[in-house]
Amino acid sequence: MMDKLKLAVFELTDCGGCALNILFLYEKLFDLLEFYEITEFHMATSLSEGSHYDVALVTGTVSSQRDLALLKEARNHSDYLIALGTCATHGSVQASVEGSIREKLKRVYGDEGNPMRALDSKPVVEYVAVDFALPGCPYDKNEVYQVLIDIAKGIEPVKKDYPVCVECKLNEYECVLVKKGLPCLGPITYGGCNAACIRSGLGCIGCRGPLPGEVNPASEYEILKDLGYDDDYIIRKFKTFARWEP
Amino acid sequence: MRYIKLPSENFEKFFNSLKAWGSIYAPVKRGSIYSFQEVQRAEEVALDYNRTMLPPKKFFVRPRDEILRLKNGRWENGTDAEPIVLFGLHSCDIHGLKILDKVYLDEPVDPYYKARREKTFIVGISCMPDEYCFCKSLGTHFAMDGFDLFLHELPDGWLVRIGSVRGHEIVWENGELFEEVTDEDLKHFKEFEERRANAFQKEIPQEGLADMLDLAYNSPVWKEYAEICLACGNCNMVCPTCRCYEVCDKWISAYDAVRERRYDSCFMENHGLVAGGHNFRPTRLDRFRHRYYCKSYFDPSSGYNCVGCGRCDEFCPAKIEHVKVLEEVRGSLR
Ligand code: SF4
Ligand code: SF4
Ligand code: SF4
Ligand code: SF4
Repeated sequence: MMDKLKLAVFELTDCGGCALNILFLYEKLFDLLEFYEITEFHMATSLSEGSHYDVALVTGTVSSQRDLALLKEARNHSDYLIALGTCATHGSVQASVEGSIREKLKRVYGDEGNPMRALDSKPVVEYVAVDFALPGCPYDKNEVYQVLIDIAKGIEPVKKDYPVCVECKLNEYECVLVKKGLPCLGPITYGGCNAACIRSGLGCIGCRGPLPGEVNPASEYEILKDLGYDDDYIIRKFKTFARWEP
Repeated sequence: MRYIKLPSENFEKFFNSLKAWGSIYAPVKRGSIYSFQEVQRAEEVALDYNRTMLPPKKFFVRPRDEILRLKNGRWENGTDAEPIVLFGLHSCDIHGLKILDKVYLDEPVDPYYKARREKTFIVGISCMPDEYCFCKSLGTHFAMDGFDLFLHELPDGWLVRIGSVRGHEIVWENGELFEEVTDEDLKHFKEFEERRANAFQKEIPQEGLADMLDLAYNSPVWKEYAEICLACGNCNMVCPTCRCYEVCDKWISAYDAVRERRYDSCFMENHGLVAGGHNFRPTRLDRFRHRYYCKSYFDPSSGYNCVGCGRCDEFCPAKIEHVKVLEEVRGSLR
């Protein structure tokens, strides 16, 4: 039997959901354990026997010096690093709060300075090169399952190349944008969630961040304006999970 | 072709008799869209629907289809083909299937498509166009074949055209439900068709379309539309003649997997990507234009790859209209 791959899960600043989501694979975790041993995961093991990891999953944003140090440690000691969840791939909610970190600290803590050595929240991908980015708030746990088994078998995981609309149509959900005028960001949002929100009759809120490439946020903006949504609302909607810098 | 009449009062009996062939799938209303779903009773069927969101293609090339299964290190065939009845297809969709037949039944034959196609009994139904339909100008508003039975609405029942040996058999077995067609019925049939012909609000002048597209590759109109197109792929996903699919493997346990194929769209990054990283259609402009050429140009000798069903218009979030785009492109050449 070949040696198992060493898997690490690192958590930076986030709600904890993305790390926990791995445990929610329940019995499917045992499939992963056929190929991996977990050598670092504060939610699942007291082991912390660093130095080298074959695969590292990093969740959360870089929001403090501690996060940055941990991220560098993870990057330097792993062969394959995956930015997991929208915090890590796009910055998510905390990174979308605008303004400088100084002003924000002052608003909350007054003149206490910066005791926790906070940084302006940014996604992992802005600090280090990653081997794979898997967005979602939280990401679809089956996706990380597929990616980890692919890697274990020596297959390069395939990046999704389509927006939420594609899976929405595969499921034949009624289009809430066209038929109900709901503000749906599906046409410009990275697919892979299987159109979970539209299944519930809601518009996509863009939690997986923008699909890179040829999608057209400017046109989406005009469409929402035509439907009667105002500038401020649309911009806030666009910026909830990612800082659009078109 | 043989014509017979199904009086209204026998409709339900006729409908139920089809269950001898297999489960019945028919258009039903779901929210503000229609969808082909399994139905038990005739009253569930939306007989006056305009178009379903996904075309009947979904029964032959499924949106997601597990074509193979990896079990104990061996690949096994994963798909099934049950006999079904597709009830209530419009003429455009029957033409759409005929276009798909050319792709999937020509060598090399797609075994999944073929098995399902052979086991499906198709009942067509007449319709009145809405503001999106333009099948008449493409000649796809009437089907001469591609169905087993075709029902045309009459004031007191249905004029039934029999389109296949299987259709004959079903009618034969239920002979007591049908009557001979009278001159009066034929008159009503013609009146319906005339009313219908006059109800079309949209048409695509097919004349010279291929020549026009030959010259129009660099038309500025493509660029104008590529600015508003979202590249979301909705138009491809709902089109009865789009035939592109993606194949991917999915792990279902540590050692077992399924090979799934699913609808793809030429608006997506990987569609034009080839080995070595070259992409034939890197920009939205390339992709937008490509779709129109695929629908109207590549092989005009075998007919156009558009049947005028209007789905792409109805479900485009950017409200881009197929016929309008082509007309503007034509206009830009003048
Ligand atoms: S509901 Fe939203 S995600 Fe679904 S097709 Fe419409 S715009 Fe796209
Ligand atoms: S291109 Fe549009 S109108 Fe033509 S067959 Fe496809 S969906 Fe229907
Ligand atoms: S190339 Fe595009 S338009 Fe043509 S069949 Fe494929 S998805 Fe449809
Ligand atoms: S549905 Fe409309 S916006 Fe989306 S890709 Fe097609 S033409 Fe473009």
